[in-house]
Amino acid sequence: MARRNIPEDAQGKTGLKAIHNQEKQQFRKLFSQENIDRFEDRYRILEILLQTEHHLSEAEVTEMLNENGHDFSPALIRETLDLMCHFGFLHANRFDNGRMLYEHRHLGQHHDHMICTKCGRIEEFTNESMESLQRKIAADSGFHMLQHRMEIYGICRDCLKERIPILPLTAARQGERLVVREVAGGSNVRVRLMTMGLRVGDEIEVITNLSAGQVVVALDHNRLALGRGLADKIMVRALDSQEMKAAEGGAQ
Amino acid sequence: MESSILTIALAGNPNSGKTTIFNNLTGTRQKVGNWPGVTVEKKEGTIHRHGYALKIVDLPGTYSLTPFSIEEIVARDFILDESPDVVIDIIDASNLERSLYLATQLRELDCRLLFALNMADVARERGIKIDADKLSELLDLPVVFTVGNRNEGIDGLLESAIALAESDVEIPRRRRVKYSKDIEVAIAEIRERLVGGATGELPYNPRWIAIKLLENDTVVRERAAAAMGQGAGALMDLVDRHRATLRDLYDDDPEIIMTDERYGFIAGIVREAVTTSTTHRRVDISRNIDLVLTNRLLGLPVFIFFIWAMFQLTFSLGAYPMAWIESGIGLLSGGLTRALPQGLFRDFLMDGLIAGVGSVIVFLPNILILFFCIALFEDTGYMARAAFLMDKIMHLIGLHGKSFIPMLMGFGCNVPAVMAARTLESERDRILTILITPFMSCSAKLPVYIILAGTFFGAQAGSVIFGIYLMGIALSILTGRLFRSTLLKGEEAPFVMELPPYRAPMLKSLMIHMWDRSKMFLKKMTGVILVGSVVVWGLSAFPRNIDYSVDYEGRIAFIREAYEASAAEASAGQRREALQAEMDRRVDEVRQARDMERAEKSYMGRLGKFMAPVFHPLGIDWRGSVALLTGFAAKEIVVSTLGILHAAGQGSEALQAALGESGMTRLSALSMMLFVLLYMPCLATVSAIRRETGSTRWMLFSIGYSTALAWGVAFAVYQGGRLLGLA
Repeated sequence: MARRNIPEDAQGKTGLKAIHNQEKQQFRKLFSQENIDRFEDRYRILEILLQTEHHLSEAEVTEMLNENGHDFSPALIRETLDLMCHFGFLHANRFDNGRMLYEHRHLGQHHDHMICTKCGRIEEFTNESMESLQRKIAADSGFHMLQHRMEIYGICRDCLKERIPILPLTAARQGERLVVREVAGGSNVRVRLMTMGLRVGDEIEVITNLSAGQVVVALDHNRLALGRGLADKIMVRALDSQEMKAAEGGAQ
Repeated sequence: MESSILTIALAGNPNSGKTTIFNNLTGTRQKVGNWPGVTVEKKEGTIHRHGYALKIVDLPGTYSLTPFSIEEIVARDFILDESPDVVIDIIDASNLERSLYLATQLRELDCRLLFALNMADVARERGIKIDADKLSELLDLPVVFTVGNRNEGIDGLLESAIALAESDVEIPRRRRVKYSKDIEVAIAEIRERLVGGATGELPYNPRWIAIKLLENDTVVRERAAAAMGQGAGALMDLVDRHRATLRDLYDDDPEIIMTDERYGFIAGIVREAVTTSTTHRRVDISRNIDLVLTNRLLGLPVFIFFIWAMFQLTFSLGAYPMAWIESGIGLLSGGLTRALPQGLFRDFLMDGLIAGVGSVIVFLPNILILFFCIALFEDTGYMARAAFLMDKIMHLIGLHGKSFIPMLMGFGCNVPAVMAARTLESERDRILTILITPFMSCSAKLPVYIILAGTFFGAQAGSVIFGIYLMGIALSILTGRLFRSTLLKGEEAPFVMELPPYRAPMLKSLMIHMWDRSKMFLKKMTGVILVGSVVVWGLSAFPRNIDYSVDYEGRIAFIREAYEASAAEASAGQRREALQAEMDRRVDEVRQARDMERAEKSYMGRLGKFMAPVFHPLGIDWRGSVALLTGFAAKEIVVSTLGILHAAGQGSEALQAALGESGMTRLSALSMMLFVLLYMPCLATVSAIRRETGSTRWMLFSIGYSTALAWGVAFAVYQGGRLLGLA
């Protein structure tokens, strides 16, 4: 998924070709080492796969082979796809509809990703010293590296700037004004709170927070007493400065 | 006279003033309390207006009709199954959105609905103005303004209700919540399946069933499945599929989305019908009081002070009227002794009736004061805060703060306390609370402590009694933990409770509450205790002819003769008087010995002797055994039985004197008090337990467990004390 976010122009046609040649050589080397039979036929299958950048199902692979004049048995195709997945040339993905789709990995051509879990933005980066470090680690363990993937998950710079800490109600102090962000837990509890008038987005004030976590909150002119278990499930954030001003203006 | 009966149901949020309006409508005296679900009992009253008999039913206060608690199920089932002619929804104008939430749910039930817009004065003070005409137009139903605590608008409310019942208007189907398209599609599809596939008659309006099925309402699911017969499986598959699709679509449970959409609908109404002026936001006094009374540091000390003050008031202030009542009873029995001829009837009247009932009625002042204090806590709204403050401590037992209310009431009387456990949502919590509530020493046990501790512990009596109360609390905690980890395992229900606004209590209402509960005490007195006293007296007074081991009459005659002889010799008046006093004393001694023997040989004595081996290891003699046995009828009888068996005459002083001479020790008195604290609850409580748990097994379990615990604790204290040489 990450790869498809990479702008297409980043990798030219010539670049692709070179990568594919590299894969072919590795394929030949590995299979001959492993004494796998029918190398030439299997090599054709890889070639077909390298012609496209799409996800392919087994049936689609068969179809493409037929179009190119190859008539392999389904058993061979099946076995070869499995082998190539096993050696890391292919990546198999079972999608929601239950179909298994294959795509080839771009061995050699490489960049790493940082993925923001909040806004979903993907940033690319390459770092030569890390790449060489990775090669060194693999070589030191006598490991034959075909490919690696590095994904850093987290919050991007922009999202971090906007972030206001979210905390459970039990952690709130007396007198704090908060906004309910989320109620964790089963729908029973959530509907119950909603019917009592406590909803996500409501502004509340902490009247009391007993040390053990029982909390009294004021919501408009009502006050609700909440047990610890429940208060732990209510996630709140502090009012931002603008909301604060509005709340104070109302109180005067 | 009336041609027809109309049923009018009152629905509304807790603390919306519903109970007050009910009282105003029916004029009956009802309990008005502040904790959630106080009106869980179905209360009704019939009045006659405009040629109709109006049966008015007060439904439990609820926030919604989703079956979270018994109250909500009770309220919903009443509207669904009894189909009242009119449902009046009491709308708390100062909490409009939340009140309207219940209203939208009522609207979905397709009942004839009428709004009583209550507390509009409070809303106005907060700058909220509600356009009743607009509200009426938007929801297509009549709206009447009421002010519950000033009894305003009640007549108008009744007239509108009757007019609504008389009208044959189709119940409007337009002005109800319309959900978003995907949900409506699902509702329509399920509805169709319901209408098409039902083998029996559908219990309720099919759209409503469809909505509830989508919301995964377990109660409705069962009933719909029953109505669908063989088609149930397919229907549920359809429902589950729709639920799954909607969950995927909205990334949340359908019930949450639908609740949200109802609030959206309400927000639309509020925008149209309400104007808010933000000119002046008044200080919220209740909030400020809560800052202190529920404070992390101050809350608990203040609470303990209130409880201490309550007991202090009960016993110190109660002492004065107690003395008056005692002297009144003394006068009465003195007068009767002179007026009536000696014989069985006089004995029955004096020793049975007056001694029995008299020894209990002296506690009426204490009970009145205690119930007054509890009513004060309820009416001001403090009771809910107490529950909050106790939540932490109640967690020790594995219960939450709400269980504290029944337990606190247990100090007054266990019968209403066991009934108050209904406000708890989970059945396990309810049963656990009911099982441990009897360890809260009820006011009926207090006379026993006062007599025993007063006799044997003198100045320390107060501390000893306080210790007994604490012991009850400690054992309830242990019991709670034990049962929570064995018999009644389960998740603790989430604790959420509204803290109602503080209100200045109205004296009239306090008096009504106090009286309502004290009435229970007096009823018990005239019924159970009267009969109990008479039975106890009968058992101790018969058989009439007893084979005495000593010729007491002969001895008395001998003492008299000896006096006559010596009196003749003595010449001076002073010496004569001294001799006469000496004679009287000796005659009394012989008479007392005779009374003791007669008590011992009576039926009661024989029963006590039979039971004695069981109680002997506890340091309790046969009289104590009998007294404890009779205490099953009502704990107050323990004292009166002791009075009769010790032939002590009237008044607690006489009994104390007799007990002091009976051979009981401090240790055995303590053992007996502990036994009284813990052993089986009284008849009335036992029947309440049977009713509330709905199971004879739990009732028997409660009796067995508490009695076994009582015996064990008393045994340990008595024998342990003896080993330590404390006898």
